Amino acid sequence: MENISFRTAVLPLGDRLFRLALRITMNRAEAEDVVQDTLLKVWEQRSQWEQINNLEAFALTICRNRALDVIKRAGRNTASLDKVDNGQWSMVNGQSTLEAREQISLVRRLMDGLPEVQRTIMQLRDIEGMTYQEIAQLLDISETQVKVYLHRARTKIRKGLEIRD
Amino acid sequence: MDYKYIEQLLERYWECQTTREEEAILRTFFRQEDVPASLLPYRQLFIEEDIMAGEHLSKDFQDKMLSMVGEEASLLGGRLEGGCCKARRLTVVRRLRPFYRAAGLVAILLTIGNAAHQSFTEDAQQAIDNGQPSMVNGQWSMVNDSVTTQPEQQSAELTTPTIDTLNALTR
Repeated sequence: MENISFRTAVLPLGDRLFRLALRITMNRAEAEDVVQDTLLKVWEQRSQWEQINNLEAFALTICRNRALDVIKRAGRNTASLDKVDNGQWSMVNGQSTLEAREQISLVRRLMDGLPEVQRTIMQLRDIEGMTYQEIAQLLDISETQVKVYLHRARTKIRKGLEIRD
Repeated sequence: MDYKYIEQLLERYWECQTTREEEAILRTFFRQEDVPASLLPYRQLFIEEDIMAGEHLSKDFQDKMLSMVGEEASLLGGRLEGGCCKARRLTVVRRLRPFYRAAGLVAILLTIGNAAHQSFTEDAQQAIDNGQPSMVNGQWSMVNDSVTTQPEQQSAELTTPTIDTLNALTR
């Protein structure tokens, strides 16, 4: 690999990594920090790129692991700020206000209420348009498991939307 | 209008049986304003996912990263959208490079011209020295410039003995 440039080889991955990190941490500043760490890590390992089949998948794996570390350190293991229960919202820690929640769309709240793995899979499939195989490799699980998690996620979203309606 | 196809597609979407192409059809369908009431509750999902797909890093993130890894940021101070163009800093040497090239070309042409002129002059001088006719200043000249004959004169000298020979033969 000759003439490797950070600008052309690594930076273009940024936005996709950011969206994944944002879906996990649900905080823009934290997500940007995660992306920064990830891109630097990928760049540091450029001498080994030839041994990596898919650079983007490699970067996404690092990104997800770092984002999970962030929420674990912050004590937000599932990263869900609020819990969804049949479309009814309950306060967690008593910090969120009803007005603030209403600013956020119903879909976002439903998605944010999903367990991390379901949320990540929904992000990778529905927003990033990845195949089941790519997602399975990224998360190191089977394609069947990917479909099971995705089915659970979509079912919860569907129910949430129908109850609200 | 019959929405049976969309309804079937949506049902398969919930069951994770749709392909990415079929999901794209659903997305396109729900982007339109005119959606039947029975499908309206699900429109928000696809609209929101479109918005989420457009989320991106802050504008100064790119320049910050480039400075961290020691690569030059945009010279214009703005973002190079999509990384389509690569800004390069021009050094003095690089900026003057076209002039160097032009000067070099002129030098080569002058050298060749001078060499050709010198070679031609030397040839003429050598020819004079060897007694061969040569053209100098547009006129033919003979050895040492001492004998310079005109074409008419040469013709007369050549024809006189030839006529004498013919006369002798006829007799």
